[in-house]
Amino acid sequence: MTAVGMAIRWFHLATSLLLIGIFTASLLAGRSDRATAMRWEARLLWWTRRLVLLVLLAGLASLAYQSADVTGRAGAAFAPAVWLRLLLQTQFGTVWLVRHALLLLLAALVLLRQRERSTADWAAFRVEGWLLGAAAAAVAAWAGHAAAVQSAAPLPALVDALHLLTAGVWLGALIPLAALLRSASVEAGADARPYAVLAIRRFSSVALVAMLLIVATGLGNAWFEIGTVPGLLGTRYGWLLLAKVALLVPALGLARVNRHMLLPALSGEAATVGRPAMARLGRFLGWEAALALLILAVTSALSLTPPGLHESPWWPFGFRFSYADAAATPGVKARLVIGSQLALLGLLAAVVGFLLRQRRGLVAGAGAASLAVGLWIALPPLVVDAYPTTYRRPAVPYQVASVDEGAALFRANCARCHGPGGRGDGPEGAGLPKQPADLTGAHVLHHTAGDLFWWLTNGFLRSGMPAFGGALSETQRWDLINFLRALSAGERARALGPLVEANRPWLTAPDFSIIVGPAPARPLKELRDRWMVLLVFFSLPESRARLAQLAQSYESLQFSGTEVVAVPMDGGAHILKRLGGKPPIFFPVVTDGAEEIAHTYAIFSRTAETGPGGRPAPAPKHVEFLIDRQGYIRARWIPRQGEAGWGEIKSLLDEIRILDKEAPSAPPDEHVH
Amino acid sequence: MKLWRVVLLLNLALGAGILLGYLAWGREIPRLERAVETAREQSATTGAERTWSARGVVRAVLTDLNVVVLTHEAVPGLMPSMTMGFKVHEPRLYQGLDIGATVRFTLKGTGPSNLEIVTIAREDRP
Repeated sequence: MTAVGMAIRWFHLATSLLLIGIFTASLLAGRSDRATAMRWEARLLWWTRRLVLLVLLAGLASLAYQSADVTGRAGAAFAPAVWLRLLLQTQFGTVWLVRHALLLLLAALVLLRQRERSTADWAAFRVEGWLLGAAAAAVAAWAGHAAAVQSAAPLPALVDALHLLTAGVWLGALIPLAALLRSASVEAGADARPYAVLAIRRFSSVALVAMLLIVATGLGNAWFEIGTVPGLLGTRYGWLLLAKVALLVPALGLARVNRHMLLPALSGEAATVGRPAMARLGRFLGWEAALALLILAVTSALSLTPPGLHESPWWPFGFRFSYADAAATPGVKARLVIGSQLALLGLLAAVVGFLLRQRRGLVAGAGAASLAVGLWIALPPLVVDAYPTTYRRPAVPYQVASVDEGAALFRANCARCHGPGGRGDGPEGAGLPKQPADLTGAHVLHHTAGDLFWWLTNGFLRSGMPAFGGALSETQRWDLINFLRALSAGERARALGPLVEANRPWLTAPDFSIIVGPAPARPLKELRDRWMVLLVFFSLPESRARLAQLAQSYESLQFSGTEVVAVPMDGGAHILKRLGGKPPIFFPVVTDGAEEIAHTYAIFSRTAETGPGGRPAPAPKHVEFLIDRQGYIRARWIPRQGEAGWGEIKSLLDEIRILDKEAPSAPPDEHVH
Repeated sequence: MKLWRVVLLLNLALGAGILLGYLAWGREIPRLERAVETAREQSATTGAERTWSARGVVRAVLTDLNVVVLTHEAVPGLMPSMTMGFKVHEPRLYQGLDIGATVRFTLKGTGPSNLEIVTIAREDRP
């Protein structure tokens, strides 16, 4: 099925680009009255008539394939109802219709053509053909990945359209020009030799610009659709793209040989001088065209593969570079600065060297050496271990339900060695070859979620950490990782106070559902962008006075852009009834799932203080968090004797005003990373 | 006529057609969408008296204002889920309504600004 789809895409793409190429070649060569040139042109026109019909056929085939693909039934390929729905209700359909309307116009133009009498007619026919063919090919970009990854932004699709167009100009013109050179290189075609030389000269300049544009727009496409190095090296999409580049390199090499060695050999009118070079140039263009067709095959495979942006990468190396881990080590920054400067200088020198006419080897070589030395200085300190799953994206979002599940799994599977608080001090940890890791440390945040996933799955057999890949499902392992993230962040959150640190968000508020009675569950995240949130964890009767105060100030809090969400710490059963109606409370009070939420946020409710006898301080009975519009916890208040904090609503409103004035920061990731 | 003239004329006609089409209809689309939106709102706010039914939880009973505050689910065709006070048709209706009680209620009126609770009954056991 996929092979059929690929073949159809390839045929569609190749014929479309060849159409552009034929008109390009014909326009570049110009009008001529030499017999061989006229024969070549006639042949091109014969081919355009066939090609237009073939493209239309391939279009129908792609419609049939798409019908079968979206419905999942091969039988739907020729169902008129499916076709109609696809054409009229999808983006693919709109693009298909526009595209084939343009191709029908092109078909009419080509099939109804009369013999041109003037040069103006000659040019009008070809320019019109080129425009229609180019428009039809470029429009396809709006049905591809480029338009899909960021449907709102026009830039990716425009870049992709330009990529297709320039590909048509360069790759599409290769075959017709190879044919021209072949005809001109034989004895009978000697009359068209100057004509062929002129055509190939013009093409050479156009192709240079086209190649630069292809590479630039290709880089743009890769950026939009992959975006990261792991995406390039670790996904199927990335590998296909690398294969495409690997095929492009020899094509560019051939183009270079053609331009710099064979093209100069064509000069001179003498038939004997030009002929072998011309034949060889024709052959080389043919090879280039063959490579181009291969590149198009990879491109059609790419168009059927989900972009790297949407895939979980599989990291192929045992190491990666990480600045965050290395920055803390003394001396590393100096090495980085020196190394990166040397490397940059080397890169510049290498580029300049290639542009020089004299001493090219010397300058480029020195540049390459400097680049290598610079990398050798800068990179080693940045190396950290990596695993195939290092860049895997967590399959479970960072939500209260997952963290709570992870906490239970931790108690059941990990606490024995890592200790109930994750400090590496569990009773069974003492006898292990290596002391279990302290999971509350900042180092946990430096590892990617994928690193933790790998360790959980495969263990560290030498140090005694068992592999949980068999015992815990994938979801359970991600739950555990979400819990570990919360644990490590909670350790840092001990220092949180009632004062907002302006412009320094770092603590993501795990998402949860706000459920009040029979009203539908509403995720906390849904309030983002519009509301700041005062998240209140309360116990009765201790919190009664504070809740009354908040109820009375609810209007002014809302007026300042803050929603209040209250969560009972001791479960939600009959909580509204227990709160009573005096004063009436109108802000959401969570009635379902409150325990889960309270457990998770208790991780962020610990303080730096210790209780009597050095034991952890008892859990507070009332905690309030201030969450900014992006979804970060920014301040926390735990009522205590002798401390004002947010005891007066005015001081709470002061902090809210600081958040209100901030420029919005990047929203926190759905998933830990 | 010469081919290049035909081609040029056809292109001009095509361009002019697209431009005119955009001027005539393309610019209409946002306006029509707005019109549909206002019409939809109006059909919800004005018109004949009708009734809606939904479930909610009692948040407050303000007897002096003759109002019950409910956190309710979405009322199809009227309003999304929210916490809101509703006038009560007659005081008898809110007798026996406790805070936190889950209720099914019926609204009667012509739109969000003109509504009254005509029936309200507990769904959970008191």
